[in-house]
Formats: sequence, structure tokens, C-alpha cells
Amino acid sequence: MAILVNLDDMLHERRMTLTELAAQIDITVANLSILKTGKARAIRFSTLEAICTALACQPGDLLEFRRWNPEES
Amino acid sequence: MTRTSVQALSVARPVVRGLMVLNIVYACAIAALLAWSFFIAGWPQRPLGFDLVHAHPLAGLGLRVIVVVGVVGAAIVHTILRRLLAIIDTVRVGDPFILDNAQRLEAIAWRVLGLEGLRFIVAAIAAAVWEQGRIGAFSFAPWLAVLLLFVLAGVFAQGARMRADLEGTV
Repeated sequence: MAILVNLDDMLHERRMTLTELAAQIDITVANLSILKTGKARAIRFSTLEAICTALACQPGDLLEFRRWNPEES
Repeated sequence: MTRTSVQALSVARPVVRGLMVLNIVYACAIAALLAWSFFIAGWPQRPLGFDLVHAHPLAGLGLRVIVVVGVVGAAIVHTILRRLLAIIDTVRVGDPFILDNAQRLEAIAWRVLGLEGLRFIVAAIAAAVWEQGRIGAFSFAPWLAVLLLFVLAGVFAQGARMRADLEGTV
């Protein structure tokens, strides 16, 4: 997928675990794990807002667009 | 789910299963009747109790063809009931909005349409060998049911696609 989720990096920067974030924003660890591993097909604005609030970051810090190169995959 | 729909769901499965058994019994009975008709002397006037063939010479053949159509109809009804049972099972499991159900509903719609076609064939045979207008060919309700089934199949397909989209949403 051309959209990359940098949740893992952000969690590392903020010294926070996925379980702690899940407890803070009231989203299941399973769902956050889907987001973290790039398996999510869409993200709600409400989820994005909750993550940004908890990690004190911008949506751009979490999401990144990278042109998909079929030769790389 | 409302209490009525829960009750309807619990009743639906045994009812559909019962209808499947009745349909098989019906198909076997009329198939046996068809086979038996070849071994009865003076068929069909003797079992019927009146001379139908004298007034309508092709009535005997017509009756046999109608029985064959009946067996075909029973086979179609069986496939409809099997699909209906599969749909009921998905509702019981709590996962009815799937593409399989949309395809099942569409298949049921085509089969109900086929049954209406068979009704026309029976009416045409009755008109040709017996008496025109004796068996009514047109009824509004089945056509409305076919339309409703096609619309429902479309709704299910759209619902399944929307659910698939939502499944990956966090």
C-alpha cells in the first residue's frame, strides 16, 4: 500500500506501548495492531484525532505517502 | 433483533426442513403416478372416473407432460429451499450480510421466475389439450416476489460490500 502508518515509530518516540495507547484512547489492541502493521483499509477521523491527542502529534507524523513501486514488492 | 423476528428465525429452520421433505415426497409421488399411468389400462378415464379422452383426445398426454413439469418444478423448489436454509443459517450465526447470500437471493429470484415460466407452460398445455382459460396463467403476486427478490439481492450485495469496507476500518 502506498500509505504507510508510522505508529510504531511514534510510540517509540513517546516511550509508549500499544497497550497503553489502546487504554488511553479506548480502542482495542487488536484494532491498533491492524493499524500499526499497515493492514487497515481505512482510518476514522475520530481514531486519528484520538491517537494524535494521546501522542501529541499531527496526522502527518503518523501517515506517510510513498509512491508504490511494483518492482520493490 | 425484535422478539418476533427471533421467534420467526427459530421456527424458520424446521419449517423449511419440513417443506423440503414434503417437496421430495410430492416429487416422488407424482413421479410414481407418472410411471404408474403407463401400466393402468384405460388411463386416464378409469382413475378419473369420467371419459376425458373422448372429448379431448390429447388430455392423457397433456396430463403426463404436466406431471413431468411438476417434477421439474419440485426440483427447482428444492434448490430454492436449500438456498433459503443456507441464508437462515447465516442469520443464526449472525453473519447474513455476505456476498454469498446476495448470490443465493439472486439465484432464488431466477428460480421463482423459472417456476412462473413453468406455470405458463402448464396453462398452455391445459389450453391446447383441454380447455382454454381453465388454468389461470397470470398471477400478480409471484412477479412482485421476483422483483422483490432481485431488489433484495441488490441490497444484500451492496450491504456486503459496505461491510467489507468497514471491516478494515479502524
